[in-house]
Amino acid sequence: MDKRRVDEVLAAHAEKLIDQPEAIQQIDITDEERGRLAQLLQLAEWLQHSMQPVQPSADFVRSLGQELVDQAKRQMMLTQRLRRAVVIGAAALGSLLSIASVVGAIVFVVVRLRARAQARAIHAPTG
Amino acid sequence: MHEENDSALIARAKKDREAFGLLYERYVGRIYNYIYYRTGDHQDAEDLTARTFYRALKHISGYVDRGAPFSAYLYRIAHNVVANWHRDTSRRQIISLDELVVGTLKREGPASLAEAREEQDLLLQVVRRLPPERQELLILKFVEHMRNAEIAAVMGRTEGAIKSLYHRTLVVLREELTHVQNGREEMTGRTGNG
Repeated sequence: MDKRRVDEVLAAHAEKLIDQPEAIQQIDITDEERGRLAQLLQLAEWLQHSMQPVQPSADFVRSLGQELVDQAKRQMMLTQRLRRAVVIGAAALGSLLSIASVVGAIVFVVVRLRARAQARAIHAPTG
Repeated sequence: MHEENDSALIARAKKDREAFGLLYERYVGRIYNYIYYRTGDHQDAEDLTARTFYRALKHISGYVDRGAPFSAYLYRIAHNVVANWHRDTSRRQIISLDELVVGTLKREGPASLAEAREEQDLLLQVVRRLPPERQELLILKFVEHMRNAEIAAVMGRTEGAIKSLYHRTLVVLREELTHVQNGREEMTGRTGNG
């Protein structure tokens, strides 16, 4: 039996074990194949029997759910605060820049006017 | 009642994190099962399940839907959380096959129902010695009852690759169990003779 055929047989058997009739491929396992693969098929059945779903305790599920919702709220608030802080910071920086540029412009104009006045005074004809 | 699908819930959870609670309710059982079968302990399973969902909540805003089921994302986080747990705490009991043999021999008492339970424990211990992806495959198949196509989507592989991995996993598991059982017989023979 080639490896691919074994893959298919084992996969089909496992699908059958987990009760997925709609998923069972149209694959018929012959008696000979069943004999050859008996150990692996039995092992799969043992696994299926041993690996039963377990349930987390209801208390645990409830308390973790509540903690997550609380954490989500805190995270949202933190994000909103951070966003607000960024907006306020940016606005403050913008205002400072505007004030600085106005002051700069005034200083520039004053300096230019003074320099011009001085130049005029130097070049003015005497007497 | 119409149940909101995962994609819609995820989109909502990005803005309204309380919607994350619904995703949590939908998946907590599966993630708990996965972690329980990887660790073998309910207390650790609770702890690591909590870590998994905290991590998912933290990163949900960056989640990109690439067509894989949301459970794949959660299983991936759970996988990493379990791997970190094994590494950080060094609590993974790497039991050699010989130790497993001795362990089961010590427990062997009079024929009873407990024996069947011990056999089952032994099988699960050997399963826990398998590489993580093989454990994941067995858990998704036998605990979660997922079809091969679903497992392929969660594990990011093709269906053919999953079938092949399943075959190899059974072969390795059988070999390991045979080794344990042979060891047991040898030990029983020795103690019987001595």
